[in-house]
Amino acid sequence: MDNQGHGHGQNPSMGIVGNGPQLPYGSNPYQASHITGSPGMVVASPGTIQSTGQPAATQLGQHQLAYQQQQQQLQQRLQAFWANQYQEIKKVTDFKNHSLPLARIKKIMKADEDVRMISAEAPVIFARACEMFILELTLRSWNHTEENKRRTLQKNDIAAAITRTDIFDFLVDIVPREDLKDEVLASMPRGTVPVTGPAEALPYCYIPPQHAQQVGAAGVMMGNKPVMDPYAQQSHPYNMAPQMWPQLLPPPPPEQQQSSPDQ
Amino acid sequence: MADSDNDSGGAHNAGKGSEMSPREQDRFLPIANVSRIMKKALPANAKISKDAKETVQECVSEFISFITGEASDKCQREKRKTINGDDLLWAMTTLGFEDYVEPLKGYLQRFREMEGEKTVAARDKDAPPPTNATNSAYESPSYAAAPGGIMMHQGHVYGSAGFHQVAGGAIKGGPVYPGPGSNAGRPR
Repeated sequence: MDNQGHGHGQNPSMGIVGNGPQLPYGSNPYQASHITGSPGMVVASPGTIQSTGQPAATQLGQHQLAYQQQQQQLQQRLQAFWANQYQEIKKVTDFKNHSLPLARIKKIMKADEDVRMISAEAPVIFARACEMFILELTLRSWNHTEENKRRTLQKNDIAAAITRTDIFDFLVDIVPREDLKDEVLASMPRGTVPVTGPAEALPYCYIPPQHAQQVGAAGVMMGNKPVMDPYAQQSHPYNMAPQMWPQLLPPPPPEQQQSSPDQ
Repeated sequence: MADSDNDSGGAHNAGKGSEMSPREQDRFLPIANVSRIMKKALPANAKISKDAKETVQECVSEFISFITGEASDKCQREKRKTINGDDLLWAMTTLGFEDYVEPLKGYLQRFREMEGEKTVAARDKDAPPPTNATNSAYESPSYAAAPGGIMMHQGHVYGSAGFHQVAGGAIKGGPVYPGPGSNAGRPR
């Protein structure tokens, strides 16, 4: 028996002409979005980032351009992903073949002592939701892999995606501090050397040899804190990014020196 | 960060070792399934390290516990004992996963349509009555005017009729569709 109950996008454009997509429900009662995570939790990790002084205009421009390109690429992928999800689910007709085992999902749900009874539809919904979750997390993680010019998705890529995405705040405890620290420290030198341009390294800037330059991530790191809207993140670098530069202009502070041996 | 689920404690310990005991594996979804889904999101020449797969395994279990905990709290506030699909969708919205809810609504709708067929055809094989009652209660609001009993036709309302052609094959409760008598008796 085929484990996959649906096609893998073999007919992505399949549809009936003239029939606009009709939602099964007239209205969505949960229009407002709620974020229950604590932004301070993320702020605590990048404690070494401080803002003082003034930015360097030229490098800021290069940084902005590279960042915007990367963000646009990620947004396009996510948009295509969600559009594809809706279309794919429409085609599902066999609810017996799931990509994830229902019994295991139910067992995980039952691990919570407060959970008593679970309707038959709950694990079925979760099977689909978990697939979407894995796909989204993997897409966002791959963005980080590409920034580092690698072809192998690693644990620190997942840590980066978790750090950059508000709705993944509940996962921060899953990834070890080392992976989070790498993400935070790696964000410090990003602004000085754009990946897409010739290197203009400042002599007094510390660049960890273990990390390739990741220009776009710095803005994402900043933009991730105040808002959830992915599109709003694109505008935040203009407000946040300048604060990155001052750290690099003056001599490195003591905290920075102490962090060097960890690399 | 304080996690409301007891399960999160175990996840922390499991993450520290690459070797998982068989019992610990029970708390995660199979790594082969997770790996296969991850590959669907990546280019063909991409590779995935084993620790990345294991990390995603842990993340998925945490996701299930996170959503389930919120849904369970809601059920307790409303003095209900059974978590159903709508509770999960509500919890996802509350916790910021709005993007997931619209596709899942359609999915849940169509599952209930087919589950209705199965419930009638294979009543003896179903779970205890309380579960049946819950499913039945949530099936009623989904019924459009389709007294004919061939509930697959309801797909027309949502413009996806063409994809119901093979729906019959998924129902193994019997060779023919049962009479709609019992469905008609249920309040809408």
